[in-house]
Amino acid sequence: MSEETKPQETPAETPLDVSQFCPKGDVLVVAENILGELQPVSLELLGAGRILADKMERNLLCLVMGHEVGDIPQKMIEYGADTVYVADHEELKNYRTLPYRRVLCDFLESLPEPPHTTLLGSTTTGRDLAPRIAAHFDTGLTADCTELDIGPYEHKSKVDPTKIGLYPNCLYAIRPSFGESLKARILGPWKNPQMATTRPGVMIPNAPDADKKGEIIKIPVNLKDEDCRLVVEETIREISKGIKLTEADVVVAGGYGLGTGEGFELIKKLAACFENSAVGASRKVVDLGWIPYQHQVGQTGKTVRPKLYIACGISGAIQHRVGMSKSHMIIAINKDPDAAIFKFAHHGIVGDCYQIIPEMIKQLTENTVKREVEAVVGTH
Amino acid sequence: MSGYNIFVLVKQVPDQGSKAGINPDGTIDRAKAKRMLNPFDRYALQAALHTKKAYGGTVTAISMGPPPAVEILMEALEHGVDRGFLLSDRRLAASDTLATAYALYKTVLHAGKFDIIFCGLQTTDGDTAQVGPQLAERLDLPQITYCEDFGIENGKVHARRIIEGGIQKVVTEMPVLVTVANSYHPLEYKSFRGAWRVQQLARRQEELKQYIQTIDLDLIGADAERCGLKGSPTIVAWTEKVGEIGGSCTMHEGHSPDEMVHEIIKNTGVREYLVANK
Repeated sequence: MSEETKPQETPAETPLDVSQFCPKGDVLVVAENILGELQPVSLELLGAGRILADKMERNLLCLVMGHEVGDIPQKMIEYGADTVYVADHEELKNYRTLPYRRVLCDFLESLPEPPHTTLLGSTTTGRDLAPRIAAHFDTGLTADCTELDIGPYEHKSKVDPTKIGLYPNCLYAIRPSFGESLKARILGPWKNPQMATTRPGVMIPNAPDADKKGEIIKIPVNLKDEDCRLVVEETIREISKGIKLTEADVVVAGGYGLGTGEGFELIKKLAACFENSAVGASRKVVDLGWIPYQHQVGQTGKTVRPKLYIACGISGAIQHRVGMSKSHMIIAINKDPDAAIFKFAHHGIVGDCYQIIPEMIKQLTENTVKREVEAVVGTH
Repeated sequence: MSGYNIFVLVKQVPDQGSKAGINPDGTIDRAKAKRMLNPFDRYALQAALHTKKAYGGTVTAISMGPPPAVEILMEALEHGVDRGFLLSDRRLAASDTLATAYALYKTVLHAGKFDIIFCGLQTTDGDTAQVGPQLAERLDLPQITYCEDFGIENGKVHARRIIEGGIQKVVTEMPVLVTVANSYHPLEYKSFRGAWRVQQLARRQEELKQYIQTIDLDLIGADAERCGLKGSPTIVAWTEKVGEIGGSCTMHEGHSPDEMVHEIIKNTGVREYLVANK
């Protein structure tokens, strides 16, 4: 970091010279790849980062760390980056906290001034790395944002008079707040980079532009022995475990209303009726051990946007809703007519999952046959 | 081998499952809300206790929060934790994750030598998963986040952690900080003896203090300027109500299951996504 941007002693009445808080820093996106395979969240971050950069008339930078990253840097330009920095090193092949931390910290320190904003994905990698960087630079970090924006903020609180002032370009990091139907805007304009992670599947990537020009710059990797204290013995990708939740066209999800973990047998049966389908779950049932964490949809799980989402025995708390409300068609089944899920589902059935789901499976499988008959009749 | 010094960080959070303290508009009255041990910390506690059982050592539970948080340290004691520290200080109010990590860093140093620090993956009232890694940064430790399996072999830590669409098997040395995923083993029930012992202890406050110490910023030599609102680089600038989406849910109610299901299937086009009949 070039220089501590900590404000000097200033009388509380005088608004601060805000130019010192909003230097010309750019917007940086930290791209993510697993063994050279680009993670979709990187493109989403570029989409979000481009909007922020354009609003402030700054550049969009992208950092790619890894080994043998192929055409990823070029792709980053096509998806919106102006300059892509590449740290390629054998020791960066697998993601590991300390080597990646070293490269990212060194890179940020090497810039003439710190980026205004630095964005990472709320993935197992981004959530592992971002807090280390924020702590290293004593800067603010907001996790799991669902929206990002740039705007002014006037800080009036006298708790810390050194912070009082009008800040023209602040990162608005917006996320749902705990247990409440509230969205919170979290700000930290006093120190750059202002950091945030965004949930995979939430931000929208730009359409790629093959003609877009940009610069690709290789940066040095200087690791220390202590950075390699942790060794990755093996990376195992789940390949045969069915359709990935985030990529499924149809998600059938179960919640606490199922009453027991065995209810998921029924959920799986219903999901099996659909092509390219997956099983989702609310956090409560994951916490109860009814189904593994990988199936969790919502604030602390995955964000999905399938064509069809069937919520079975899910009450629809905000934490769940943020993970699935953008589904094209939401069908909810719940015993409680006042359940929150009926406020944002498209179709609701008030009833017992154990009556409704078997009936649905029955009719869907029957109807497939019927439809085929109709189709045959129709074409003749 | 004299055993490992195992630390586990725990937090008391409002019980979201309970209706107590939940205002009609959905906001939370923290003073009235039921309190509980952060559900994610139960896995961290299990990992700590299992490590003690399997490899020997002592478990120290550390928490930060207002005085009632001593309840969760008692609970940890019932499960078999050896001692606890509660950092409680009004100057910690409104700490964000960075300020929290700083205060915990000073607490950990105060609590003494450690080999492993277990944390829950995240808390249910903040959902950030940031404090663990930020503490590791302060302590300059390697970290294993999203850990779902943990063991020690020849003095080295072997662990399995979740990554996007897969898992990573890692080996590292101690000291290390580990955040435990909720796919780890659930917390075992407390033993009758453990619970009884702590209940007896609770009646003898003086003796209890040998096991659970309440400490403040001055005692641990923490800089109050780096705690609370002052030490927090982020603030919640404002909040807004989440608008109801549409409110245009087509409800099916009061009819027989087959009628309601028939209507839904007819009106939603779900058949389009069915597995093609072969």
